[in-house]
Amino acid sequence: MADFMTSTHRTKWIFTPQDIKHKYKVANQRAKQALEKYGTTRMEVDIDGSFSYAESQNDAKDSAEKRPKPLKVEEEQLLRAFYEFKIQDVCDAFKFPRKIQATALIYFKRFYLQWSVMEHHPKDIMLTCIYAACKAEENHVSAEELGKGIGQDHHVILNNEMLVFQSLGFDLIVYAPYRALEGFISDLEEFCGAKDDDQLMALKGSLDTARIEADKIMRTDGPLLFPPGQLALTALHRANAVHGIFDFERYLRSVLSRHQPAHAISELTGSMNAIDSLIGKLLTPTSKDVKHIDRKLKSCLDPGSHDKSKKRKHRSKDSSNEVTDIS
Amino acid sequence: MAIAAPEQLNLTEAPTWGSRTVDCFEKLEQIGEGTYGQVYMAKEIRTGEIVALKKIRMDNEREGFPITAIREIKILKKLHHENVIDLKEIVTSPGRDKDEQGRPDGNKYKGGIYMVFEYMDHDLTGLADRPGMRFSVPQIKCYMRQLLTGLHYCHVNQVLHRDIKGSNLLIDNKGNLKLADFGLARSFSNDHNANLTNRVITLWYRPPELLLGTTKYGPAVDMWSVGCIFAELLHGKPIFPGKDEPEQLNKIFELCGSPDEVNWPGVSKIPWYNNFKPSRPLKRRLREVFRHFDRHALELLDKMLTLDPSQRISAKDALDAEYFWTDPLPCDPKSLPTYEASHEFQTKKKRQQQRQHEEAAKRQKLHHQQQHGRVPPVQQSGQGHPQMRPGPNPPIHASHPQVAGGPSHHYAKPHGPPAGPGRYPAGGNPSGGYNHPTRGQSGAYGSGRYPPQGRGTQYGSGGMPGGGGPRGVGGPNYPHGAPYGSSGTGRGSNANRNQQQYNWQQ
Repeated sequence: MADFMTSTHRTKWIFTPQDIKHKYKVANQRAKQALEKYGTTRMEVDIDGSFSYAESQNDAKDSAEKRPKPLKVEEEQLLRAFYEFKIQDVCDAFKFPRKIQATALIYFKRFYLQWSVMEHHPKDIMLTCIYAACKAEENHVSAEELGKGIGQDHHVILNNEMLVFQSLGFDLIVYAPYRALEGFISDLEEFCGAKDDDQLMALKGSLDTARIEADKIMRTDGPLLFPPGQLALTALHRANAVHGIFDFERYLRSVLSRHQPAHAISELTGSMNAIDSLIGKLLTPTSKDVKHIDRKLKSCLDPGSHDKSKKRKHRSKDSSNEVTDIS
Repeated sequence: MAIAAPEQLNLTEAPTWGSRTVDCFEKLEQIGEGTYGQVYMAKEIRTGEIVALKKIRMDNEREGFPITAIREIKILKKLHHENVIDLKEIVTSPGRDKDEQGRPDGNKYKGGIYMVFEYMDHDLTGLADRPGMRFSVPQIKCYMRQLLTGLHYCHVNQVLHRDIKGSNLLIDNKGNLKLADFGLARSFSNDHNANLTNRVITLWYRPPELLLGTTKYGPAVDMWSVGCIFAELLHGKPIFPGKDEPEQLNKIFELCGSPDEVNWPGVSKIPWYNNFKPSRPLKRRLREVFRHFDRHALELLDKMLTLDPSQRISAKDALDAEYFWTDPLPCDPKSLPTYEASHEFQTKKKRQQQRQHEEAAKRQKLHHQQQHGRVPPVQQSGQGHPQMRPGPNPPIHASHPQVAGGPSHHYAKPHGPPAGPGRYPAGGNPSGGYNHPTRGQSGAYGSGRYPPQGRGTQYGSGGMPGGGGPRGVGGPNYPHGAPYGSSGTGRGSNANRNQQQYNWQQ
């Protein structure tokens, strides 16, 4: 059977917290080094995997004082968090199904396991991930339409598409917690012996709450660390904490005994607690919060944005939009 | 631009991303060519392993990476089965082509993306068409069982192949058969509620429900194709070689009877039923026409070629059919004889000469009669000059030209069908086009699959009515446009392209 158990999602894209931390650090270091060497972090990647940097003005490269300051790992994280929220925003605005939102988010997260935001601007990657998710989930929207909808040049999307697909290793099937949630809810109908409409309504209510919890989980590192079923259970747990309509632990035991009798419940609750604490730490930065980081990022990507060269001018024009976009 | 050479950047910190490049392979020879890409036999330099490289051309400036390629990749990454072709990896070739200002202008990745497949020696059509080839009964059972096993696996995993035909069934020299070319495949949900395009499956293998215009269908569409292949193996030639949709339906009705509310409840509600309903009811003659077949074979075939898709046998049930469990039993694939691989592409040049001969012959002999052979028709090659349709295979004389339009990837030398000429006159179409709504460059690895979505009319040389975008559901479904983007027909305008691109209900 082709399902999560045999998927690339499970075999290639579930990490430990240490893995992730290391990857973020490596990408950040690489961008920092590039900034020192070339005076810019803007990276051009060729289809064959080779990459190059747009060389900056010599003075910027030579004098340490003039050199733009690189982003710290935490700043990168904040910026990613901002754009992840933005992905949900944009997808809501387009009324895309949650599945697309989740796929775009997972693509975005996987992308930045390999690259620093200093190398590829997250706004571009955000758009490209949404576009790619639409394609992969059979909800095709033209690049132009997507670009128009949010006032962005759609060429950015097409130019980054292959970079994104390659960075994903063409592993395009991803699993989100939403479908698992629905499964748990219909399972719960039986478990609770829900007969009357009130009970069914109550369960439906907790499904809605759980979906909102899952939306939050999707913005944490959770999807890179845990399988979708565990993300869904955590969302359900949090929803039930609000609605309190069934004995969660008893349900958990019944799920385990039916599906994975060998597993200890402590293992599962351990994961759920970890996901819970990720939600606790979830950042939802506003555009104000990231404004200074975005400015820093701009100078890393385009150090010469004030100079008169045609190329730079073009780019600075691009990036002047960014601040307004964010707000 | 400063190039970051490996020594400048700490290699261990270089992003471990993306794909290998095609340079990891040594291209040995081209084994197929479609309008939009080539298929190569290649050797992986490091391991010496022989593979097939299928190129996906990235020259669409509007919508980037082709959605059909995304589907194929998604599906093939999900399926792992001994009777399904193995997509080993995806590799790239350089070729970025930015405009001079360095501005992003359309898609900058104009290089190539290649899908790397395990190499297979033959395809079923090519093998069957080898001169003097006779499949034994155990051999046919062996192939059929593998075909059904692979297809059952696809269906269990909710994938419709949607282009089952002989040239998409690859066979290696160990007798293994694998389904290939998932370029038209897509996932389905069991409720059959989604609207899917009815413009799939090569015409000769297309089931009546699609020909009648249904957009809600399921795995039964593939089973019809299997039935056609099964009959073809037993009969020695294609059983429904229609030249267009109406003729295709007629051929089906002549053999399988005409559909009505009794044998196919609900048929009258299918969109084009009234347009195609035969003027007088036709009796089902399948058992009579094929009365010389083995009893169990006939019984199974009858169930596969059932008009009503809901009554058609499933792959799973077909595997349980008496046919596979009575003597002679299906043989072990390993016991099958091995055949020398011969790729059609190698003989292309020769055939082109033959084709010229034939055209000359045709001009001299206007009522030259031909017979449909095994190779499904091709509309046009899109290679800038009109080509002959491959539909009519030559009469028996070995010296007679094989007429194969676009190069396809039948791993075999062409030869004519065993029967004499006559049944299906070619009609002397001088441009060599039946305007056949079958897919063009067929071929096992589906080289001709990805249409250049950004192209204009340059391929539209077939003179067909510009039907809907090749895969657009919304387009005029009839009369024939190009069904799968095998050629550029009807793709001239942006509107068509948009249809094709944006319509995701396929």
